[in-house]
Amino acid sequence: MAELLQFTITGIAVGMVYALIALGFVLIWKSSGVANLALGQIVLLSSWFTYAMLVQAEFPLWLAFLLVILFALGLGWMIERFALRPLIAQPILALITVTLGIGYFIEGVVIFIWPWSVDALPRLFPREVLHIGPAVVSQEYVWVVGICLLVFALLTLFFRYHKMGIAMRATADDQMAVQACGIPVTTVFSRSWMFACVVAAIGGILISSIGGITQGLIETGLKAFSVVILGGLDSFLGAIVAGPIIGLAESLGGGYLTPYLWAGVKDIIPFIIIIIVMIIKPYGLFGEVRIERI
Amino acid sequence: MSLPSGTRNYTYAQDMAILRTKTHWALFIGLLVLLMAAPLYLSNYWLGVANLIGITLIAAIGLNILTGYCGQLSIGHAGFIAVGAYTAAVLTNRLELPFLVGLISGGLTAGAIGLIFGLPSVRVKGFYLAITTIAAQFIIIWVINHWSVTGGFVGIKVPYASIGGFVFRTETSQFYLIATIAALCTFFAKNLARTRVGRAFIAIRDNDLAAEVMGINLLYYKLLAFFIGCFMAGIAGALLAHWIGFLNAEQFSLTESILYIGMIIIGGLGTTVGPIFGVIFIRLLQQILTVQVVPFLERTFTMMPSGFATGVTPMLFGLVIILFLILEPRGLAHRWALLKSAYRLWPFSY
Repeated sequence: MAELLQFTITGIAVGMVYALIALGFVLIWKSSGVANLALGQIVLLSSWFTYAMLVQAEFPLWLAFLLVILFALGLGWMIERFALRPLIAQPILALITVTLGIGYFIEGVVIFIWPWSVDALPRLFPREVLHIGPAVVSQEYVWVVGICLLVFALLTLFFRYHKMGIAMRATADDQMAVQACGIPVTTVFSRSWMFACVVAAIGGILISSIGGITQGLIETGLKAFSVVILGGLDSFLGAIVAGPIIGLAESLGGGYLTPYLWAGVKDIIPFIIIIIVMIIKPYGLFGEVRIERI
Repeated sequence: MSLPSGTRNYTYAQDMAILRTKTHWALFIGLLVLLMAAPLYLSNYWLGVANLIGITLIAAIGLNILTGYCGQLSIGHAGFIAVGAYTAAVLTNRLELPFLVGLISGGLTAGAIGLIFGLPSVRVKGFYLAITTIAAQFIIIWVINHWSVTGGFVGIKVPYASIGGFVFRTETSQFYLIATIAALCTFFAKNLARTRVGRAFIAIRDNDLAAEVMGINLLYYKLLAFFIGCFMAGIAGALLAHWIGFLNAEQFSLTESILYIGMIIIGGLGTTVGPIFGVIFIRLLQQILTVQVVPFLERTFTMMPSGFATGVTPMLFGLVIILFLILEPRGLAHRWALLKSAYRLWPFSY
């Protein structure tokens, strides 16, 4: 029983972070229709940047965090301006592969600056363990869930009430109509990349504060795709619902299946879910089914 | 269309011939001689590079058929290569079957696995398919790493290739083996594109819904593209296994898959010469970077943390992919076509 509770809480916490990273994907997909496959590398780069600010430059926490946010904004702006803007209205194949190229480039940058490739962030949250019923849970997980919920709430408010948020939703709905209304679509694209990078960076900090910074963060970014696929590519709600599902499947499956299967079954569960969803319900739980016409 | 002035076609056979003029034939025979004489002027090291290029070329041709002609993006190509490589390795090492059996079954197994992961392509495309193939890559590599038959994390040894008692032990003998198969694959791909199947692939790439309305069986042709593409990946994998002599799943990472996509983009999607240019470009660049540039940078900038220069390779490759997509989306094959027509039309530009 205690074991089950523990797996559940870890699963939900990790799943929340996946959902956060997945939101970064959905933001871009909704506004500009670009599939960002460089998500894992963006998470990796921003985690290392946090490391550089906190450990190498020894800034105080608030300043480091502010600089990371600014860095993520800059990164998003640069990617959109220099790689995606010239490719507007190109076939989807080019849009997908250009993000692969971006990811490869970022990976190179990370190896270039931090070649030792494994390190730990300092503890961001208090160490004491919590006792929830019979289970013993590290307090970090509770903090992670809290921060994720906060970011979700902020994003929801932003999309409901802020002018830019409304413009983004409108762009997702109909680009031509939005242009006709005088909303600069390129600015909307640019902002959505900036916000997506910030959200991914926050997710990266949270997950690397628990598990350390490794190349495995790229895989974490890829696992976030299973959240996107399960929830539906264009649905915020889908990402938030599917995140904990994937997290739970990973943690419970990893916990209970390992004795029967090979070790490390945990790492493969999100990818198996992708295949299953793709065969049964390719547009996900909440995704919009697009009907194509010639 | 691209024939020199004054050349006329009077029969269908003439119209369909790949080599039309005497100059074509002379150049073609010259190329063959140059290729077959390669062991005479290449050192053992460069022969090794040539072998790697040949093996990569076979896999890239497969990916070009799948992605370039049929438009089904696959980011798990290295995974399918791994399937072929490990099938050949297990059959020849553990069961001691002959090389040719391993080679063919490597191709067939990779093709079959490709069919399984290609199945979602009937319903989805674009990003969904990209993600499916990434998932395929991870699942395949995970199984290889954990299954006792494949040697797991330790790896597996592979004996030399041999046909009827002749053992391909040296780089030279392997060069002829690999070059022959690569040439056959190029010829196959060139002809495939001109048949009913190739035209169906192109129709599916340009608009699969319209293709279906015209009576093209999407299920059949998409799966056929996956089978052919992955079969070639499997053949390449089997050759790679016998050439390297030792397999480890590290050799088939996701980055390798992305590199394959990069190769066919740089070469030019949906062309016959594209993969050749792309593969040579990427593999030579890789060779020069890892052998010359990286050690040089490590020696020169000693104040940087050790190992930093290995980051230069992915940085440069990422940059090359981005720049080609933005500046020359039709790839080196387009430049080659421009060069050819400039030669043909000289001294008049049109």
